[in-house]
Amino acid sequence: MSLLTRLLERNLRNSGAGARRLYSNHAEEESSATKHEFADEEFRVLNLRSTSQATQQKRKVFKKEPVQPPRHQKMATDQDWSAVWPGPRTFQPSVVPLPLRQGYTEKGAPPPSKFANAELMKIPNFLHLTPPAIRQQCEALKKFCTPWPKGLETLENCEKRFPIEIKSTDYCHALPTIRNPEARRVTLNIKLSDLKFDAHAKDKFLRLVGDRYNPNTGILTIVADRCPLRKQNYDYAMYLLTACYHESFVTESWESSKSEADMEYYSFERNKSKQSAEAIINWGQPVEEAKKLNADHGFAQSVEQLINEGENVYNLGKYKEEVLKLLNISK
Amino acid sequence: MYLTSRLPRLYVRTAQFLGTSTSRFNSNAGAVEERIEIPNRIQRSPTDILNALASTVGRDPTAPHYKYHDDPYLIPMSNVGKRTFAMSQEAGRKAAKYIRDEHRDVFMHQEAQPPIEAFAPKMIFTEDSEVNTDTLHLLIRNSQVTDAVIVYNLLKQKGVEISNDSKQEILELICFYNNEEPLPEELIEERWFKANADARERNRKTWKDGELAEQLFQELEPKTARSYAAIIRGMSKYFQAERAYALLQEATEKQFELDTQTFNAVISVSNFLKETADQRWELCRDLLQQMAHQQLRPNLGTLNAALEVVSTFGNFKLARSSALKVLAEFKQLGIEPSLGTYYYLLIIFCRDRAPVSHIIVDILHELKGREFTIQHPKDTFFFATAMDVCRNHLHDKTLARNVDELLHTGNNYDLIGDTYKEAVYYRHFFALLCQTEPIDEFMKVYDLLVPNVYIPEPGIMEEILKAVEMNGAVELMPRFWSDMVIFDHTNRESLLTRTLQILIDNPPNNDLPAHQSLPEQVGKIALDIYQKIADPEGRRPKDLQFSGKMIGDILALLVRSGNFEKANEVFTHIDKNQHRIPGTPSENCLQEYVNACIENKAPTQAIVCLQYAVENNMDAQPIAESINAGFTLNEVHLSKVKSLVGENLVGK
Repeated sequence: MSLLTRLLERNLRNSGAGARRLYSNHAEEESSATKHEFADEEFRVLNLRSTSQATQQKRKVFKKEPVQPPRHQKMATDQDWSAVWPGPRTFQPSVVPLPLRQGYTEKGAPPPSKFANAELMKIPNFLHLTPPAIRQQCEALKKFCTPWPKGLETLENCEKRFPIEIKSTDYCHALPTIRNPEARRVTLNIKLSDLKFDAHAKDKFLRLVGDRYNPNTGILTIVADRCPLRKQNYDYAMYLLTACYHESFVTESWESSKSEADMEYYSFERNKSKQSAEAIINWGQPVEEAKKLNADHGFAQSVEQLINEGENVYNLGKYKEEVLKLLNISK
Repeated sequence: MYLTSRLPRLYVRTAQFLGTSTSRFNSNAGAVEERIEIPNRIQRSPTDILNALASTVGRDPTAPHYKYHDDPYLIPMSNVGKRTFAMSQEAGRKAAKYIRDEHRDVFMHQEAQPPIEAFAPKMIFTEDSEVNTDTLHLLIRNSQVTDAVIVYNLLKQKGVEISNDSKQEILELICFYNNEEPLPEELIEERWFKANADARERNRKTWKDGELAEQLFQELEPKTARSYAAIIRGMSKYFQAERAYALLQEATEKQFELDTQTFNAVISVSNFLKETADQRWELCRDLLQQMAHQQLRPNLGTLNAALEVVSTFGNFKLARSSALKVLAEFKQLGIEPSLGTYYYLLIIFCRDRAPVSHIIVDILHELKGREFTIQHPKDTFFFATAMDVCRNHLHDKTLARNVDELLHTGNNYDLIGDTYKEAVYYRHFFALLCQTEPIDEFMKVYDLLVPNVYIPEPGIMEEILKAVEMNGAVELMPRFWSDMVIFDHTNRESLLTRTLQILIDNPPNNDLPAHQSLPEQVGKIALDIYQKIADPEGRRPKDLQFSGKMIGDILALLVRSGNFEKANEVFTHIDKNQHRIPGTPSENCLQEYVNACIENKAPTQAIVCLQYAVENNMDAQPIAESINAGFTLNEVHLSKVKSLVGENLVGK
């Protein structure tokens, strides 16, 4: 067989049309004009024109390995899904047996299928939290749970028994570090009505505590984050509460120098308003102690209310009435 | 990905209420009702909750092993593929480590808090490194043998004082590893691969005589019992039995108190010291008595070492009796046998050339429902050996199922050993089941385990096909053929022959619903086989050759499935390549082909077939008759037929 081929080759070569390659007839005609004539049979001629055809032929013979069908086709309909998808996982179309489609397409075209669907892969899926899976996990965790204490069923009971509320936060990020500086922060909340004060103590306490007390809700909030550890911050918050409370019952010597400007509430008796009002009422009258008119009690109250509670429609209205009454101006 | 972004502030409301409320903090200072009892927190270790959640996750039979990527293109489907994928993944890790160590100046950052030691490049110790004894201790603890030796030599060079304890530690390290650097622990697959390759060169002496370990031993003054213990155990581990025994004698002479573990080591290599079974037994008892003399309490290691020696006896009667004696005595001592013990018992009692022993029944009865942890290196051999015994020795499928049940109780699956032992286990299991179970039951097990847990080897595939043949379950054949293609078994001639045999002998029955699409699938299989051999696409061109029977079967199957052109092609191939095909197709096949020719009105082909039959000395008469009956032949054909078979057969 090969001998025959060689003979044929030789014949073709000696026919004088120039060097040719046997497999590409097309190239023969092309190359005959452009190539040198070799009478010698030993040298093969480099034929650059025809190599492209050769590589093209080689490229066609590329067979792919057979690929298994996606494994969701082998899944039974009554399988245990929590065994297939036990934890949070990117959407894997070969595993999920649902014929999902998602994505925008032009009018008339169906949405893209689940294979190689970036939309489905980007979004978080909750295939690991199917109700049976949650039920199973809860059952497994029950052995670590203790029963809720008796007597603490309602929220009021809890608040009554345990007036102090401590809040702290744990963080978990997908980072190489497990630490988070925010985790040391401790917040302590207590309703001020749960603490017993006398008047002086309450005033002093509120001054000590400053704007940690919210008068609208009546809750005192202490946030501690100056220590590096959560426990230390918790201890510090409790210490602050205790210290302020006890300190508010102690009267220092310098507290006696409290003046009207320091007072936290407005008292009509002490203030200029009384003097001014009485001056107005007693205007033109000779200064005699016995016949001195005093400002009305209602007037006193309305002034106090106006200044202590702030200006609102009701207070202003009442003040107006009282002033009219005081000055005997009829409506 | 949302996972890498910061999660919103997880407001874990740890409302830690105070314990008992005092009156100062209680607004209703009135009657404090009954004391609130808050139960104590249930103590748990850091991973208890994770373990509890993990126990809810069962097994997914369609999923590949965790180490492979879960993608249809990347799941390995043949044994070779599985090994290649696993080893290549580890090779990738090794490459990464190599790059990290090559360009260590680029990898110096430690971003993780707390810092991850494994990510930092390895320390290299040169002549001018600053080292002290702490470095030495750290290296010894991390089992870095070569580095530890370098540091030790550096310290000696610098004249740093090395305490005897440090010398003892480094002696122990070198004896344990025989002065070779162990493979890093994370390269699991390579370790398994290497261990199996080593185990095959049975127990060669690999201890390095006169090298560093012994030098260290000599340098260590004064010698203590611990140093003797270290060197003796090292020598026994690497099968330097004589010197180990000699050192043991020396130590006892010098009145050193050795420990149980050392004696165990010497017992286990005593089979290299003596030749016959009796001598070995004598030596064993001698050593045990020495132990008793030194007031050493034997343990599980002693039991297993003694049984190891017994298992090397050639005399099976002595072996069996000695084994039972050993077992009884250790039971008296209160030592609980482990799975390794039972492994040795199995190999002692259930030998090839010994009478059949039913000890495994008793063993399984004893072990039923129990959970095991790893206690001895030979524990992992138990399950594979037990399944081997069930298959080869006893041929009992109930026992096999019992073994399987034991394997699946609790965490016993951890004791199956490495992937190689798992494959051996399932190989025996499958071989046994396909021979003893009806095919439906077997298919249930097959579906569960193949291809993710176990891929049958070609030998086992042959057993399965035999079982299919016996059961006549031809509807399973397309599935088995596709499995064989995927598992890469198609270059075995015996398998191909058997497949074709099954297909030929069991023609599909059109009444059965399972056989509806069977004829064309059968035809496809035949065509597939033909194409694999006839044009191998440059893959492995010369491995497979047709045999006459095979190609005859292919021909007949193509004819049956109605694919006449391909049948023609196959027959032309037969005809042209007569010199390459040993044997001839059977006559039935040729007859079927001729009948098909008759149906398809191709008299030329029929006559070529007749010619072939005549040339090959086959019984051409029925063929000729059918041609004659089927066709109305013209002159040319008639004359040809006459020339082939003679006048008298062509009679009307």
